[in-house]
Amino acid sequence: MTSRPIAAVAASSGSPCAVSAHDGLFAGYEIGAAFDEMFARPGPDGPEPRPHYLPLYDRLRQTSPEDFRRRKAMTDLSMRQDGVGFTVYRAEEGIERVWPMDPVPRIIPAVEWRQIEAGLVQRINALNLFLWDVYHEQHILRDGVVPAGLVLQGGFFRREFVGVEVPRKIYIHICGTDLIRDVDGRYLVLEDNARTPSGVSYMLQNRQVIKRVFPSLFNDYDVLPNDDYPAALLDVLRYIAPESAPQPTVVLLSPGMYNSAYFEHSFLAQRMGIELVEGRDLLVDGNRVFMRTTRGRQRVDVIYRRIDDDFLDPLTFRPDSALGVPGLVNAYRAGTVALANSIGTGIADDKGIYPFVPDMIRYYLKQDPILDNVETFRPEIAAHRSHVLENLGALVVKRVNESGGYGMLVGPASTAEQREEFRRLILAQPRDFIAQPTIQLSTHPTFVDGRLEGRHLDLRPFVLCGERVTVTPGGLTRVALPRGSLVVNSSQGGGSKDTWILADRPVSTHGAE
Amino acid sequence: MLSRVADALFWMSRYLERADHVARAVEVTFQLDLDLHGVLANPAELEWNALLALLRQPPPRAGGGDDPVAAVQRWLLVDMANAGSVMACVNRSRNNARSIRGSISPPMWRELNKLYWRLSDAGMQARVAESPHDFCEEAQLGVLLFHGACEATLTHDEGWHFIQLGRHLERAEKVLRILDARFGLLEGAEPEDLPISNLQWAAVLRKCAAYEAYQRLSVSRIEPERVVSFLLAHPDFPHSARFCLARIQESLAAISGRLPDRCDDEVARTVGRLLNDLVYFDGGDLPGERLHAFLGGTLARCARIGNLLQQQYALH
Repeated sequence: MTSRPIAAVAASSGSPCAVSAHDGLFAGYEIGAAFDEMFARPGPDGPEPRPHYLPLYDRLRQTSPEDFRRRKAMTDLSMRQDGVGFTVYRAEEGIERVWPMDPVPRIIPAVEWRQIEAGLVQRINALNLFLWDVYHEQHILRDGVVPAGLVLQGGFFRREFVGVEVPRKIYIHICGTDLIRDVDGRYLVLEDNARTPSGVSYMLQNRQVIKRVFPSLFNDYDVLPNDDYPAALLDVLRYIAPESAPQPTVVLLSPGMYNSAYFEHSFLAQRMGIELVEGRDLLVDGNRVFMRTTRGRQRVDVIYRRIDDDFLDPLTFRPDSALGVPGLVNAYRAGTVALANSIGTGIADDKGIYPFVPDMIRYYLKQDPILDNVETFRPEIAAHRSHVLENLGALVVKRVNESGGYGMLVGPASTAEQREEFRRLILAQPRDFIAQPTIQLSTHPTFVDGRLEGRHLDLRPFVLCGERVTVTPGGLTRVALPRGSLVVNSSQGGGSKDTWILADRPVSTHGAE
Repeated sequence: MLSRVADALFWMSRYLERADHVARAVEVTFQLDLDLHGVLANPAELEWNALLALLRQPPPRAGGGDDPVAAVQRWLLVDMANAGSVMACVNRSRNNARSIRGSISPPMWRELNKLYWRLSDAGMQARVAESPHDFCEEAQLGVLLFHGACEATLTHDEGWHFIQLGRHLERAEKVLRILDARFGLLEGAEPEDLPISNLQWAAVLRKCAAYEAYQRLSVSRIEPERVVSFLLAHPDFPHSARFCLARIQESLAAISGRLPDRCDDEVARTVGRLLNDLVYFDGGDLPGERLHAFLGGTLARCARIGNLLQQQYALH
């Protein structure tokens, strides 16, 4: 999957505090400066498991490292046999890797989830209103709430789409929003992924695997199921179909099997029962889209596309793209086919626009944001600029118009030359950058070298916007496996965890009726 | 169904059948080589060269000091540089499956994926040097599991029929080649050669997974003419050419949505005529060279069926 390093590094922590009373899997478990998901800050009697983690904690304490190792091996085997998420580096005979799953689940109580859910619904609503606005009347720019230049000169703004109607006025149908927790446990939005977010198949796969490997543990909790996601996604895709197609044909458009997210594409297509197509399977004739089948052409009404804007249609965007479908954009413009996500959503998750999302929420919804952003400095503003330049060693600097972790300076891990380079870049083009303080991501017990150690993680819940907005209970928890690392990227030693959202009732105790 | 998907299903199935065939042929040759050791002067060279010829493979590049038989086995089983090796065929089959994962059932994918990983295992590959048995058995078992999953978990609709087309077209070709490679044995067997001839004909049957089935039918010494008839024209044995062509005809009819005798396109005509020739095959008519010519012609017609399929369904 495409992912990027989390924009934060471990700040020098206070004195680590060992959960000293434990042996077995928890032997030597340390709590650093970060918020630990399982253990509260130490009281007089040392660290205490938080109440919603108590049944898991008890189970793990009764589990020997040998037994746990066996179950971990079972998860690895399951993933490998199902062919989950392998990365292919060379075409014919690639190195294939399974994205490792840590079998210790991450647990979120109902009260916290309600807040996350409400915050995400609010956020996608505001982003969709923003996109409709900037592609139509541009009130928010004229009112000066968001600087017009940031939008109109943004690399992801598609001026070809100004004034174009999109089905049901929805631009972002599928959003994956990355959340992190600061030292106080507050959930913060690190970024929205409003183009072609991936990871949802791992969320679903992890649940299947953990039920196989830890059935009794799963039974200890009332975990909300996440399995409805493909059906909910299909509802959204059918909702945006052209009215002329009462029984729409929906397809998933993938770049093909060498794409790193190909597992997810085929997984979702299969779960939804729709055709997985590649660009070469589609053709446009008379502004209508068809697929090439063994019985000739068949009309296509809705495309869940997992190809970026740039590669969608060589006639409109990059002429060298072999992945796309010539004429697709005009067909979309003509309203004969629907696309999810719509074209041009990249301006909503641009890093330069990110600092203004709370303002959008106030502007369009007349509400206060429920989920906060990470504090963000914009060197374009003189006062911010001097702060940023004076604190390069402590900040994370990101280039706007970029994603995938490119063009980033991670201050505490940087060299003097890198800081000097960014100083020059920022002074030359201050508008192209934002800067954020390094955030301590929360930690979670994770199985490493035969015992549990704290590892940093984030959370990507998945939001669907159709007739209504739904947030699937759960999300993809990504965990940085090397000690102290804050990089959850799968290519850099990242792994994942199953994420349990608890039902809104007391946690049942083991063995109770 | 997408043309690309039909194509991938066809080749997924075809490469897997090929892997099965090569694995079985290596295993049978290995056993035959051991049996003939005490009887013939240089059975190894004879039999393994015959196998390479059968598989239309060049001999492997000579490695200094390598046991030539072990080198041939490695070349045919695990060498990815050989596009016809079992490993390369399984890899291609799996790549085709991966490109259409959504169109096959999860158990099918899982079995194919597991097969790939079991055969890729370094320990498994290293044991080939001593005996190819484990590797060959594992490969054949994996193919059976795959088709079991296919039979039981995939809807028997258009896609399933493309899988049957690939499998049976490949199988028919292989049976024809195995017979063709042995046609010279039909003539001039001296009475004192009988045990050897018997062994070699048994090997022909085993390469087609047909030994026990044949023996049940004919309780006697193996008679070459009956073997030929059995492998070409038996109506119900799954590895006979006639059986394969009949399945191809059924699948073509199912794909086109018509009865078999109402299909009037060229590929259906070609299949129907060939099937007729096999149904009414009379082994007595065709000794020696004429059988060779018949088999050659039949192989050419199979190749033509493959080409016509590509044209008709825009397989690429």
